[in-house]
Amino acid sequence: MTPDVPSPLRDAVQRDLRPTRPLRPPFVRALVLIPLAVAIVISVPGLRFFRSDMAAIGFVKAWGFSFGQALAGLIIIAVALRESIPGRGLSRRAIAVTFIVGLAIPLVLLAATASAYDVGPEPGLGLQEGIGCFRVSAISAIPALLAAAFLAARAFPMRPALAGALYGLGCGLIADAGLRLFCDYTEPAHVLFGHGGAIVAAMVFGAVVSKFIPRP
Amino acid sequence: MAPRAKEDGGRMDPPEAELCAHMKAYLDGEIEAFDALYVAFAGRLRGYLLSQCRDATLADDLVQETFMQIHRSRRTYQPGRPVTPWVYAIARHVYLMKRRSAGRRARFEESLAADARADDEVSRDALDVMVSGDEVRRALRGVPEDQRQALLMHHVEGWSFHEIASRLGIRVNAAKTRAFRGMKKMRDYLK
Repeated sequence: MTPDVPSPLRDAVQRDLRPTRPLRPPFVRALVLIPLAVAIVISVPGLRFFRSDMAAIGFVKAWGFSFGQALAGLIIIAVALRESIPGRGLSRRAIAVTFIVGLAIPLVLLAATASAYDVGPEPGLGLQEGIGCFRVSAISAIPALLAAAFLAARAFPMRPALAGALYGLGCGLIADAGLRLFCDYTEPAHVLFGHGGAIVAAMVFGAVVSKFIPRP
Repeated sequence: MAPRAKEDGGRMDPPEAELCAHMKAYLDGEIEAFDALYVAFAGRLRGYLLSQCRDATLADDLVQETFMQIHRSRRTYQPGRPVTPWVYAIARHVYLMKRRSAGRRARFEESLAADARADDEVSRDALDVMVSGDEVRRALRGVPEDQRQALLMHHVEGWSFHEIASRLGIRVNAAKTRAFRGMKKMRDYLK
């Protein structure tokens, strides 16, 4: 015996039934954010000034690493978009690896770029400069974060806070990719608070925002 | 745990391929494809949801809600991918949302009941102290008949507002209001 579709359900579906184009795969949808990511990476130093040692570190370590980090951010956003699709949620291991790798990328790039870890703000200006970098990075992440939040919400995420934290991480990395072309400080306290803190803030903001965006 | 569709190097087993075809037709706007998906999944989903909530009526409701949610979010299905995990993920989500809202409602009702109990105890204590006094009788006489009735039924006889409402043929809110106003009048009188 096969169950019949209850008529109220069938009527409701039929009333609303029309050809529907499915969403594109998550990695394709993440490509939409490329222009925005490029704009963020260029505008963070472009609207202010470039780090003083741009010439010394060379093209690859400056632009190459920054665009590499932005690409990693886009990949993490694509992972978040995949997580947002019903039935395609990430395993705990994949989630852990994504967060660890995402948070490690700026540190690895710093280690590959810096020759010493004692370049920092002048005495007494540490907090102010830290807040300055934090603010620049966090604000720069917002446009990408809102765009990613919109893309994720269209896909009906089962775990919106997790998806939000993931795309927040991706957007934080993109913004930080621009910030590293602007700020040449290598002092751990400044890097952890001003740069890492902004990435974590973007993650938290993403997790919160995702809760408030209506899903289909 | 929801069952997973069999996948082998990207190849799906025949029933899953058939479901994919139904899903594709459904996305193209064919209601018959929805019927076929319902026939394929309704029984399985009911069993799965019943195992989660252990309530047959609720499981039936959840199956309907799941299909409505499937309909609303049908564009998130990616053609060529197995349908079963997608459907079960939505069913699980529907169940969890239902459980969450039921939990919230239960907590809310519990807090209302706790407030009512606390009010009751306070009123009874006060009544025990005052009930022998003539002042209370005088105060009660000063309360309008309809309010006095609701007040006594609730605070002295211990009836719930639902019971008072059905006994007096009024709304629950009206019963609450009458008892509250009556109590306020008594308090004012006794001050």
